[in-house]
Amino acid sequence: MSKPLIKLENVSMVFEIHPMFGEKKKIKAVENVSLEIKENDILALVGESGCGKSTLGRIMLGLLKPTSGKVLYYINGKYKDIWSLSKKEYKVFRRNAQLIPQNPYTTINPMRNVISALIPPFLHYKIARNKEEAKKMVAEHLKMVGLAPPEDFFNRYSCRLSGGQLQRIAIARAISVKPKFIVADEAVSMLDASLRIEILDLLLRIREEYGLAVLFITHDLAIARYFARKNKIAIMYLGNIVEMGNTEDIIKNPLHPYTKALIMSVPIPDPDIARKRGLPKLRSLEVPSLVNPPSGCKFHTRCPLATEICQKQAPALRNINGRLVACHKIGDIDSK
Amino acid sequence: MPKWENLLFVSYILCSMRWIIRRLIIAIFTIYIVITITFFLIRLMPGNFIDMMVYYYMTTYGMSEIEARNTVYALYNVAPDEPIFLQYIKYLFGLINGNWGKSYISNKSVLEILLYGLPWTAFLLSVSLTISFVIGILLGIFMAYRRGTFLDSLLSTLSSISRATPNFILGLLLLYFLAIYYPIFPARDSYDITIEPGLSIQFISSVLYHSFLPMLAYILTSFGGWALAMRSSAIRVLGEDYVIAAEARGLKPGRIARTYVGRNAVLPLFTSFAISLGYMFGGSVFIETYFAYQGVGQIIGLAMSWRDYPLIQGGFLLITITVVLSNLLADMLYGLLDPRIKRGGTHGR
Amino acid sequence: MVGRLRTLEKILFEHIYIPLKILAKDKRALFGLFMLIAYILISLIGPMIIPLDLTPNLEERYLPPSWKHPLGTDFAGRDILAQLVHGGRDVLTAAFAAGIVTVGIGTVIGIIAGYMGGKIDTVITALIDIFLTIPGFPLLMVIAAWLLQSGIPINILTIAFVLSITSWAGLARAVRAQTLSIKNEEFIEVDKCLGLSKLYIIFYEILPNLMPYIAMNFMLSSVSAIYSYTGLMALGLIPLTPGNWGAMINMAQAYVGTITGAGATYILAPSFAIILLQISLVFLANGIDKIFNPRLREW
Repeated sequence: MSKPLIKLENVSMVFEIHPMFGEKKKIKAVENVSLEIKENDILALVGESGCGKSTLGRIMLGLLKPTSGKVLYYINGKYKDIWSLSKKEYKVFRRNAQLIPQNPYTTINPMRNVISALIPPFLHYKIARNKEEAKKMVAEHLKMVGLAPPEDFFNRYSCRLSGGQLQRIAIARAISVKPKFIVADEAVSMLDASLRIEILDLLLRIREEYGLAVLFITHDLAIARYFARKNKIAIMYLGNIVEMGNTEDIIKNPLHPYTKALIMSVPIPDPDIARKRGLPKLRSLEVPSLVNPPSGCKFHTRCPLATEICQKQAPALRNINGRLVACHKIGDIDSK
Repeated sequence: MPKWENLLFVSYILCSMRWIIRRLIIAIFTIYIVITITFFLIRLMPGNFIDMMVYYYMTTYGMSEIEARNTVYALYNVAPDEPIFLQYIKYLFGLINGNWGKSYISNKSVLEILLYGLPWTAFLLSVSLTISFVIGILLGIFMAYRRGTFLDSLLSTLSSISRATPNFILGLLLLYFLAIYYPIFPARDSYDITIEPGLSIQFISSVLYHSFLPMLAYILTSFGGWALAMRSSAIRVLGEDYVIAAEARGLKPGRIARTYVGRNAVLPLFTSFAISLGYMFGGSVFIETYFAYQGVGQIIGLAMSWRDYPLIQGGFLLITITVVLSNLLADMLYGLLDPRIKRGGTHGR
Repeated sequence: MVGRLRTLEKILFEHIYIPLKILAKDKRALFGLFMLIAYILISLIGPMIIPLDLTPNLEERYLPPSWKHPLGTDFAGRDILAQLVHGGRDVLTAAFAAGIVTVGIGTVIGIIAGYMGGKIDTVITALIDIFLTIPGFPLLMVIAAWLLQSGIPINILTIAFVLSITSWAGLARAVRAQTLSIKNEEFIEVDKCLGLSKLYIIFYEILPNLMPYIAMNFMLSSVSAIYSYTGLMALGLIPLTPGNWGAMINMAQAYVGTITGAGATYILAPSFAIILLQISLVFLANGIDKIFNPRLREW
């Protein structure tokens, strides 16, 4: 088993906002999250909008500094917090952690053309010695992501390209510096459904070739399952991780009530099977606000299994049958 | 709504809106900075200026040097033997108490002179601004609805021309052609001096008659800016989903234009209202000078040519205070009109 | 050698031919551009063709337009056309100098405020608000009066600076807002991940997005500078330079009471020169948006 590349230890992120009226408010976007991603592994991070997964992604990339906790990166034989790396070490980390963002139309500056967006990383890290060489490398990468002939795309602006093409360019951009780790933040959410599988397959192929670790953030459980089917998945709710483990295990046999509800919410085309399955048994359909989260276990307001202890104490992640679950009500018994 | 409810509402907004307080602080600060600038400008002038004034007083009024010096110092609230800080405080107190110095040309209190001209300028500017604003926004909506047609193109060109023309040049041309060459309109003064000021019809009509050309100069050179701004704002609103939805619901086009498009498109224009007031005050120097219209602009113009520094200082200060106050008013009006601020929702200020 | 030629060709193509092609679709902007070029040419070459003779010739006062004096003569018998042609230089230089300084100051301050954020931003924003509120022209007058007294020479450079003091705030505010909104875009995040430096982000990502504002504001600042410059001259608040259009207006209005029909050209000529120049700049400013914003292009 390969060793972890990036580890998050007790990471919390609290945002302060200054609204028009009244005092400052605090939003606990991420609370006390610990997880790790191994080399060459995939972790799908699933949750509804606002649960903090994008924030977590950016913390992992060093774009946001967590209010508490450590972000550890394996470098020079040790795990070091990325916020206390030396300049040289930070450069190594920086090169190895890349982002594929959500909106294909803002992955490159709308005011600049494709080639001017793709060349600079090659020159910055001296992968190419001059502009000519960089151009050739850009052409290669474009071919790699399925945009051929590449010269056609050099001078185009993002307004003349389709979502699918732009997302391919985003992928090309991310892998241009040969990183070890990529965060794909809702990378296919803004694409037409027909394109999604193509882009996901492309991403999987490139991952194989480059040996990348991927944090795949999405709200769509079905896509997460497709992408990470041989790897791991983590479910997030209101800033906490509620279940984490092998994807197929969790999908076929979810333990946490929230995970069960999520799975039951995925639409099934066949009406008979859907009817048999029924709707998730939630006590309330309202998602609590992040400014005033519920006490104890944050899911207790909606959880069908909630009792007094769920209101008072937040459950820790416990290892049950080879996966991590944060729930008071799940013992070592499988409950369907 | 009964009046007291309105007042309560306003005070509620004032107390709980951070940004109104911020605007207030900035307003006070602006005035403070202007006061400080003018104070130090005087101090920083090379010594020979003060000496020039002393010489002037000595020769014109036959004073001895010491008397002349004291007079000059009193004029500017300058006391070179005292530390600057003390002078500054005294100056500030003087301002608050209404002692804005004395015009050295006419020896009258600066405040008195300015306050005489203020209502005239205020009258001229507010009427002109209102008329050009109204014409502008009506034209703007008209153009937006006929976007792309020949009429729109023509009106846009006219509006651009209006915006580009300097107001003083138009004023001069109007003066020349409509008051001197073909004397249709009077060429001087704010009213016929032979008529007693009062609420008589004669007086009022005389005032209107005399103010027609200056107002025309302002209006013709400002409606274009408003029209173009309103046009682009209205075009943006017309593309919004709620307008299309309103049309789909079958609301009458007139109603849509007034309540949906009109109101939403006008809102952003309020912020430029402030800047335009300042601009018009600037133009008033020319227009009032050319038309010999007794307003603050003409006073400052004369003061400039006579190098009457206390008057210049005072005039500048007065104009700034007026502009700052109207900005504040405009902001508060905007706050009342924009429901998003009323309810304290998300508003990216 | 061939490589160099090709790059020159490319630069010409990208920076001149394409913008022209885009502008050509907007007839008003095209008009503005041609007029502006005409003004520049006349101001540069005109003085060489038509000499300026400022000696008073009292017999030829207020002559109506004729072949010898196409625009007639002024109150001192001097040719108006010559004065007009010579005056252009002054006005255009002042306008563009002021435009450049204004745009420079406004952009730098705006970017600093937007990018740095925090306390610096709060201070700068307050400054911007203050300068936006202080009425520009009166401030200009006060500064001009002070300048006159202080003995600092009033040349084009000083005028440019003084004119910019009152107009930098508008652009600074727009630049700051744009910088703030771009700062959080996804492509900036990717840039940061890719390790590109802050300077790179400012110059290559933020600045191109600012170009529409900057270009437009340059034109509009020039318009405002022309207004203020000719205005100050027309009021006699700054020393008159010969042939300057504002100076001509100053002289014209001083004699307004005694002008007969023939002297009309004395008022009309500089007035129309100024108005036409302003109109050209405004038209050009409106059309310039399309060049810098690829999204607005139709092809």
